[in-house]
Amino acid sequence: MKLSMYEPDALSPGARNFSYGAFCWLNRHIIVLRAVGAVLRRWPSLGGSMVARASAVKGVLTRTRSFSNTAHEANMVSGTYLIGMDPGPTYDSDRDLVHQRLAALNVPVDSDDEAKRRINTVSQPGAGAFDLIDDYLMWVVFHAMRPLYGTATGAVVAGSAAPAAAAQGNVNQGLQRQYLLEIRYVAGQLLAGSLATLGVRRRAETCGDALQARIGRLTGLIGTAWGVTSSTADIERNAVGLAWISHPVTVQSGALAVQELLERPKVYEQLRSQAKSLGASVWTDANFRNVVRDHVLELMRFRPIFPLLARDVPRDTEVETGARHNAKCPGGGKVSLLSIAALFDSTAVPDSGKFCPHRNWGNEHALRYLMFGYGYRQCPARDYAVEILTSALIGLLTLPGLQLARGEGKAIVYDGPLMSCMRMRIP
Amino acid sequence: MLEIVRQQMICIVAPGWPGGGEIPTPVSGALNDLFKDVAVVHFASIGLLPAMADAAEQRPSLMLELAVEEGLSPYDLLYRLIYHSGGAMWSLFGGMYFPNVEEPTDQQKQQLLGRLMECHSIADGAFVGARDRSVRQIQMEAELLKQTRNEARTLKPKYGNDRTAFALALARWAYTNPRFEWAAKPAPRSYWRGKGAGIGAKLAYPVSALVLWFVVLWLGGALPRAYNWFFGEPHPVVLAIEDAVSKTSKCLLAMSGHFLLAVSVIAFLVWLFLVPLPAQFVSWRRWLKSIQRELERPTETISSLSTYVAGWVIGVPLLLAIAACAIAYTLAPLAYALVPEYMEQTIEPKIPKLTGLELTEIAVVAIIVVLCIGALFSRLNRRFTTLSERFFHPLEDDVPRAQQIHPSIERCEAREVDRIQHMISLTDLCGPQGWSAWCIRASLRIVTFAGRVFFTQGWLGDAPGIHFGHWHIIDNGRRFLFCSNYDGNFGGYLDDFINGASSGTTLAWRWTELNPRVPAVAGQPGIAQPRSFPPTRFLIYRGVKCELKFKSYARDSMLPNLYRFVACNATIDEINLATGLRDALFGERNEKNDDLIMRAIET
Repeated sequence: MKLSMYEPDALSPGARNFSYGAFCWLNRHIIVLRAVGAVLRRWPSLGGSMVARASAVKGVLTRTRSFSNTAHEANMVSGTYLIGMDPGPTYDSDRDLVHQRLAALNVPVDSDDEAKRRINTVSQPGAGAFDLIDDYLMWVVFHAMRPLYGTATGAVVAGSAAPAAAAQGNVNQGLQRQYLLEIRYVAGQLLAGSLATLGVRRRAETCGDALQARIGRLTGLIGTAWGVTSSTADIERNAVGLAWISHPVTVQSGALAVQELLERPKVYEQLRSQAKSLGASVWTDANFRNVVRDHVLELMRFRPIFPLLARDVPRDTEVETGARHNAKCPGGGKVSLLSIAALFDSTAVPDSGKFCPHRNWGNEHALRYLMFGYGYRQCPARDYAVEILTSALIGLLTLPGLQLARGEGKAIVYDGPLMSCMRMRIP
Repeated sequence: MLEIVRQQMICIVAPGWPGGGEIPTPVSGALNDLFKDVAVVHFASIGLLPAMADAAEQRPSLMLELAVEEGLSPYDLLYRLIYHSGGAMWSLFGGMYFPNVEEPTDQQKQQLLGRLMECHSIADGAFVGARDRSVRQIQMEAELLKQTRNEARTLKPKYGNDRTAFALALARWAYTNPRFEWAAKPAPRSYWRGKGAGIGAKLAYPVSALVLWFVVLWLGGALPRAYNWFFGEPHPVVLAIEDAVSKTSKCLLAMSGHFLLAVSVIAFLVWLFLVPLPAQFVSWRRWLKSIQRELERPTETISSLSTYVAGWVIGVPLLLAIAACAIAYTLAPLAYALVPEYMEQTIEPKIPKLTGLELTEIAVVAIIVVLCIGALFSRLNRRFTTLSERFFHPLEDDVPRAQQIHPSIERCEAREVDRIQHMISLTDLCGPQGWSAWCIRASLRIVTFAGRVFFTQGWLGDAPGIHFGHWHIIDNGRRFLFCSNYDGNFGGYLDDFINGASSGTTLAWRWTELNPRVPAVAGQPGIAQPRSFPPTRFLIYRGVKCELKFKSYARDSMLPNLYRFVACNATIDEINLATGLRDALFGERNEKNDDLIMRAIET
């Protein structure tokens, strides 16, 4: 169990707020990051060890020994997990366990079912407005991922193995919401990174502690549900990691995709009219699902959840940024990857500036999924996440003319770089 | 910057406590488990505050005091405590709002959270002694200290008095012990205790702000001129606007310059009177000391009375005159800009034309005169001893009554022997209460700022041993609550304030009084007779220096606690020692670190 050890802010007062504010602003105004990326693609030497070209980003992500994922470690407030580990026996066994747990998911059936149920609720006469994150995406993703803990899901959500109801998964919605908020803040720290203010970090640490305590009480139950005989520490590490990394990141990606879609009224209307013409078969039509899936991936390309990544450099090396000379990367330092820039690199992505869901990616098909990482270290849940988001989007397309609920305060409320609220209105 | 300190100390004051003067043992146990489990609470206590005489709710208020780690917002903290699976917070507060509900629904928990957020009060002023440390860090470092001492006992026969080899052996032992892997990283320090500890870093902020202010003003005047030079003269309307902007900028720049000069001169004079002159002239030093002594003198004497009167007759008008001169000098550029003719024809002729040399001569003569007066009084004092004794003799007995400690308070203190001590003090604000509340808040913000930026080594002024001290203005600005967790005993603690931080304490408490109040519940102290805070002079003098009066006042204001949680029972000195040992064991090997290790194991 990781002991969260609060660290006071060593930066001078004001500096932290300024740098974090700038970081959050850049994340919210992704167009600025794209512009920076375009400049660095054109003149890579300007970026130093910040790489922007697709070839350079792929190069860094595939050289896992030279550019380590341990850069995430400091921001994983509830202990280490796959995303922050170096390759090795622990990594391999954890990865196998994740694949085993992901195989238990019943996607897209579960995500479709929950999306239908939630759409029915939010489209009730008189409902008018709803929160895309709190009333819809959070639950669609949660129900799709319930099988991750098997029979222990209810106990994990309730935080206790004691009540029989919890063991059966019949946990009240308030406790479910608390659990989902807890893991949201833990995941938020991964995105906010070392720039986060003390308050943000403390909240994440508190939630991380709570999550560890919650899982710590249930390792036996989870081990039984998973049918594994690993040590308590292994089960705890994986259970905690699965909790915080699977759900919030998918929810946030979904919200970003919808935000991007609503800024493209023509695309949205086209999809919605297709959904309307399909009527009741909108959930079963395979072609339409493929179309929506392509759109999800293209929307994610425009708004990836991790537009900027970092990697540790364990020993002196060089990286091909595309400049005349390779960038020196001294051991003990870090390199930054502007993945948003790589996704818009016209040398790898045809018509990169255009919104083109059915683009022929040719040899660069793997680059299409860059928002999930690249190569061996790519997110193991990639396809599941895309399927869940596809279900969520199909559900939203069945609603008539979705709009951001402006005029009653801000439609989108941010909590640092993350969206915490996205109010939608159904006309 | 101050809010992060104030948020560390929260009091939840929930009116309408239906229970008695005891917290049931299962609830205390559940609270202990809760605070241990969340591991962010340093200290917690529960007390009962008597209802105000005119309050609609005549049952006492339940007060939960929480001293927590830095950076936690009250909402996040309460959310975490209320939703904890143990349900301790529900056991404590649930019955007040939802009687007869054993197992709350989530909605009820949310309602309870809302109620407690309404009742919570972050500190209006706060001081943290053991800064930059988490609960776990203190516990782990205490364990490191304990283990190191144990190891030192084992190694002592081998190394004897060879301190360097002994320290090296202990450092090796610590390095190779996997349990202390965490300690290899230096103990974290916040900016004000780390890079910003020097006076240069502290001055950097005001100096930068000042430079920025002047640059902005200068640019405001220069940019239009640069624009005109570059692009040619614009439209007359724009030109008029540019002209107005330039003139305003010029005027503000001149006013800022004058203000800076006035402040510099005043600062120089203050420094001259308080530092070099006392250092050079014994009579001056005696004179300054005697003024301070007489202003702080707890007993009423002719000497203290005459100093006080002299302060009003000479000191206050002099300070007001200096302030008026500074303001007039600062506003002069504005006056010249608005009414130049009046200033040149009417005001200027009235201002005496003195050269710098003449001004300096006047200043030197003034200082010599004051020195001579001081020396004369000093000589008279020594020459006429009988007169002097009469002059300094007390006019009245200072102590109308001895301290009387309520048995419930004594029981609390007895319970805390060998632990970190605790006190709760509740007083009323003097009328007009709005003014008193404003003054207290302003004073406490200054104390909090000073504690945050300057007093970073565990001492508030010269007062050591305060872990978490916090002040709250509660009940819509009518009552003043003070809670403190401190080392030692109550008498010694107040002595630290009396001798070490008298000005700040007097400033914070002088606006309070004790009105009659009934005990919160049977067996707790009430107040039969109204009491006033000891008289003060010029806001910061006397007050707490009336030692017996102040101690008696503080004693009478105290309330017992019904529950107490201490995460780690270590004094500030022990905490500092353990942190120092960690840094010394895992730092580079030098004499300083070796000495620190040896002192840690020998203490």
